[in-house]
Amino acid sequence: MVPVYHFLWLGAFLFCAGLMVIITKRNAIMVLLGIELMLNASNLNLVAFNQLHPAHLSGQMFALFVIIVAVCEAAVGLAIVLRVYQYYQTSVPDEVTELKD
Amino acid sequence: MPDTPTHYTAFFEICLLLVVLLPLLSFVVSGRIPERYSWAVTFTAPLFLLISTICAIYVFTAVWHHQPYSAKVDWFAIGGTMVSAGIYLNDIAALMLLVVTFISFLVHVYSTGYMAGDAGITRYFSMLGFFTFAMLGIVLADSLLLMFVFWELVGFSSYMLIGHWTEKEEAAAAAKKAFLLNRIGDAGFLVGLMLIWTNTGTFDIVQLSGINEAFSWQTTASLCLFAGVMGKSAQFPLLTWLPDAMEGPTPVSALIHAATMVAAGVFLLARVDFLFTPIALNTVAVVGILTALMAALSALVQFDIKKILAYSTISQLGLMVAAIGAGSPASAMLHLFTHAFFKAGLFLCAGIIIHVLHQAQQQAHEHFNVQDIRNLGGLRKKLPFTFLAFIICGSALAGIPFFSGFLSKDAILTAITIWKGEAFSWKWMVLASAFIVSFITVIYTFRMVWTIFMGEEKLTASLPVVEPPMIMRGPVAILSISSVWLLVDINPFSFEGWLFNTLHSGDHFHIGAISILSALWIVLAVSAAYFVFRNKTIHADLLLNNFYLDKLYFKVVGKPSWSLAAFTDYVDKRWIDGFIHASAYAQVTVAHLVGWFDRAIVDGTVNGMASLSRGVGNFTRSFQGGKIQGYILWAILAIIIFLIWVLF
Amino acid sequence: MHHYYISLLIFIPLLAAAAGLFVPAGAAKYFRYSTLFVNLFQALVLIAMVMEYIPGQGIQLVEKKDWITLNIGTWGILKAEYFVGVDGLSMPLVVLSVFVLLIATISSWTINKNVKGYFILLLILNAAIIGSFTALDFLLFYLFFEFMLLPMFFLIAIWGGARREYASIKFFLYTLLGSVFILIVMIGLYISVHDPNYSGQLVHSFSVLNMAEASNFISHTILDPNNAWMIGPMNARLWAFLLLFMGFAIKLPMVPVHTWLPDAHVEAPTPVSVILAALLLKIGGYGLARIAFPIFPEAAIHFSTFIGVMGVISIIYGGLNAMASKDLKRLIAYSSVSHMGFVLLGLASLTPEGIAGSVYQMFSHGIISAMLFLLVGVLYDRTHDRTIVNYSGLSTKMKAYTALVLVGFFASMGLPAFSGFIAEIMIFLGAFKANSVNGLLHESLAIIATLGLILGAAYYLWTLQRMFFGPYDLKGNIAHDSIYDLTDREYLMLVPLAIAVLFFGIFPQPMINIIDPFAQNFSEFVLRAGKSLTLNP
Repeated sequence: MVPVYHFLWLGAFLFCAGLMVIITKRNAIMVLLGIELMLNASNLNLVAFNQLHPAHLSGQMFALFVIIVAVCEAAVGLAIVLRVYQYYQTSVPDEVTELKD
Repeated sequence: MPDTPTHYTAFFEICLLLVVLLPLLSFVVSGRIPERYSWAVTFTAPLFLLISTICAIYVFTAVWHHQPYSAKVDWFAIGGTMVSAGIYLNDIAALMLLVVTFISFLVHVYSTGYMAGDAGITRYFSMLGFFTFAMLGIVLADSLLLMFVFWELVGFSSYMLIGHWTEKEEAAAAAKKAFLLNRIGDAGFLVGLMLIWTNTGTFDIVQLSGINEAFSWQTTASLCLFAGVMGKSAQFPLLTWLPDAMEGPTPVSALIHAATMVAAGVFLLARVDFLFTPIALNTVAVVGILTALMAALSALVQFDIKKILAYSTISQLGLMVAAIGAGSPASAMLHLFTHAFFKAGLFLCAGIIIHVLHQAQQQAHEHFNVQDIRNLGGLRKKLPFTFLAFIICGSALAGIPFFSGFLSKDAILTAITIWKGEAFSWKWMVLASAFIVSFITVIYTFRMVWTIFMGEEKLTASLPVVEPPMIMRGPVAILSISSVWLLVDINPFSFEGWLFNTLHSGDHFHIGAISILSALWIVLAVSAAYFVFRNKTIHADLLLNNFYLDKLYFKVVGKPSWSLAAFTDYVDKRWIDGFIHASAYAQVTVAHLVGWFDRAIVDGTVNGMASLSRGVGNFTRSFQGGKIQGYILWAILAIIIFLIWVLF
Repeated sequence: MHHYYISLLIFIPLLAAAAGLFVPAGAAKYFRYSTLFVNLFQALVLIAMVMEYIPGQGIQLVEKKDWITLNIGTWGILKAEYFVGVDGLSMPLVVLSVFVLLIATISSWTINKNVKGYFILLLILNAAIIGSFTALDFLLFYLFFEFMLLPMFFLIAIWGGARREYASIKFFLYTLLGSVFILIVMIGLYISVHDPNYSGQLVHSFSVLNMAEASNFISHTILDPNNAWMIGPMNARLWAFLLLFMGFAIKLPMVPVHTWLPDAHVEAPTPVSVILAALLLKIGGYGLARIAFPIFPEAAIHFSTFIGVMGVISIIYGGLNAMASKDLKRLIAYSSVSHMGFVLLGLASLTPEGIAGSVYQMFSHGIISAMLFLLVGVLYDRTHDRTIVNYSGLSTKMKAYTALVLVGFFASMGLPAFSGFIAEIMIFLGAFKANSVNGLLHESLAIIATLGLILGAAYYLWTLQRMFFGPYDLKGNIAHDSIYDLTDREYLMLVPLAIAVLFFGIFPQPMINIIDPFAQNFSEFVLRAGKSLTLNP
């Protein structure tokens, strides 16, 4: 059986990679991708920790929820990005500075 | 002195005014004549002078042997004391009045020929009229101040007339020199005026002569007045201007620098001789005889005919001054009187020579210096009239018996002989010098006559020389006639004629022995001159340059004043302005320092505070820049820090 | 009886200047006619004034109005008045001012640059000059005195020659320094003097007449004659006198504080030079006689030798410097220094002759220097070159000009029959007599001063010789066709001056009639008041 901390390392790596993408990438779609990455890192953790309670499938359940939420979120987010792109001809949030003084 | 003498009528006063004012009118009228009608001046100016002379004759006859005439008007107040301008006409003044107007008239007439065609003829006659007016002012003035006024004015007209030919640089230089040396003498005169004013409170000659007791500084005051005489009458040491003044037109030299203006000094001395203390008189005598000797020696070797005459004038003036110093104004005035005629005659003769030779030169297109006697000779054939006139006037100058100069010189010699006293003293030297001067006078006169008129013609041989017009010969003839003994007295061996006895108030004066002695002396001199100097010219640079006085003055006075002027210029530009500029620069430097302090320190602190708060503001602003990623970054960083802080 | 002559003289030009502000730019060149009209009107007023004036009756035609009255608590009441009047000192100078300003306006006809501004400044200057000569209230005098500076500065700085900025700033700084000295003394005097007409309360007065009475000084104040403070080696009154003296000596100008004058003259346009030399310099002499001497008589006596020596130094030094000048205008500027030295010498003598001579000298130098500067201007207008050695033999081409130059030069060197002679002879006699009358000046000073006459003859005759005599020649880029004789306008301004110089030289008595009573009172007052005051408390 693969020990749980291997999954935790992988999850942490994925999370950090997602965070990295969020902070560094300027394009909103890439940022959304980063968020997906981070959500998946947490899903991996949820599934990995379910090992400790094999009788329940609560971990997997949570992961499913998260996936659904993530789908909704991506849909909303992509819709916003699409609108922003149509309006501003850009998908880079930094260039959308209409509210800046 | 009564102010309103009974026998002076209104007619007399009008005549006197005419005498004085007609030359002034001539000055104004001549000056206003437009250039196109400049010929008119040759009629108006002599006419004015003719009337003036006629009036002067009347005035003279009315005053001569009578009470002096005086009249005065208030002029201006000096410190509350009214100074008057007035006329004091006594015998001496009346005589001078006549001499001045008469010779001025003759010179006017002569000038119409001599100056014909001159571009500045109106200016010439104008200044001649002004000179005559100013000279009459000196003669008539009743106060020293008024005399000083006219004293300077004749200096001015002399300046203008010497410099009449304005294109000649030498003329301008000579005019300047004449005025400057006169100014130096006049400064002395002015100091004399100050001394007299301070000590007596009046300038009036009559009042001054009434002061019996000597006032303090009287010797100094009289010597200061004598300084003025030194300038005007070209006495040592201010004598160098007169030879240079010969740059002016020759009639001017005759009128101003021989007959009248230069004699004004002698006239002044005669008029105020009561002011002179014995010491002052002795100084006057010594200066006079020294001048006479120096100038006579210089006259001996000059080549320029006018310069010979100029030095001769100085020498004769020296004799007159010496006579005044010897206490005999009467003999000085007598010599002044005779000298005025024969010296004016000599100058006008010289003028004729210059004039006709110039005209001949222009016809023959030749150019040589007609004034240099080395170029002349044998002119007696071509200019017989001038020769005769020159001989007569020259004889009077040399003091040959039967001519007026003999008598007046005799008077001076007699005066000095009496003055020297019985016992031997330095005064004998003065007498001896006077005799030497009269000896030299004969020699240079002889040399002049001989080289110009005798012998063979030199450069003039080929020139078509003719006698000048009558208008020029007439005045010369009159002056020549006036140079014989009859002018003084019927007796050709007695100077105590109508003139001398009127001016001289003492006892019997004449010493027959002196007359005989001086006659013999003259004869000796003539023969010596004939045998020794007939064919010789003397070269003596020392004498030719008048003992290098000019060079000496230039070195001792001229150059140092230049250096001083340059020095003051330097002081102004370097020291005073330098100090001003240095203080200005110092101020600017301090201002710059203060400015730097302001900018760097004061403004620096203020600006530093501003930029600090701006930096802080910028920094804090960056937290909420609207950049979501930034927020995330900071949030994560904060969480990490929080975690590190919690965990460790 | 009320007179308004002096106020008319002062305020008409000011009103005209104010009216000038509303003149449209297009009509500016007609503004010079109104200036001329103002000058002519002033001349009429002056004639009426001279008729009204009675010589020998002290200060007359007085106008006195309250101007500033300010209660400053324990310091008493500050009271300055509009107090003007004329006497034997100011009358000749007012006559001179009106005359010279008229001539200056005529000579300004050639000004083309910013005509309106020029004439407005000229009118302001006009008012300030006449105001200075008539003010009897120290504050009013100071106001006019300072007021003069500003138009002068701009007239030189805008319409001047090549180095006009340098000259105008030098002029401004020099005279401003002098003004500061005067201001210091004015404050000291203000503190120390009260008005005797108000017995109940302490009223500080600026009236020069009050200041001249020793009894009007409040005891134990800084300048109290009986109890003046000691500042260093001297008492405060001597210091105050020296400060005033320096202030006015700069204006006069006296060697060694004279170097602004040649520069200002060389750069200033001709009419401004004329006003500067003829009128502004006189304020120096006027201030000494009006303010410094009567208020501090004991100091005037104490320093008389010093003043006399400075006068003689100015005479000689100015003469020597004139001799070294290469620029004709500079030469005449230095001759002004020399001539104003005579004013100092005459004042220092404190004899009636010397004082009258000084006032007469101021008057006469005003006319003569105006004429000389106009003459230089005539030549400069033609050739724009004033270098003496660039000219030779001008008399052949400019006959009338040469004749007038001769008049000007000989008048300036003190030839009799010109007004300068009368002034100088009186100064000489007064300075020489002083020692035996009041024991103030040594005789040698007057004797040394005669050197000034010789120097004057030297530099003028040398200039004549170089520029006007000899063969006709021009050097240094001067076009030959630029030389022509005088025009009618130039005759119009030069001939009246020449006539005036001659008139006041031959008939000085009308003017001396006015001056003489003042001179005698002044000399008597300063000597009496000065000798009654002890020098050290």
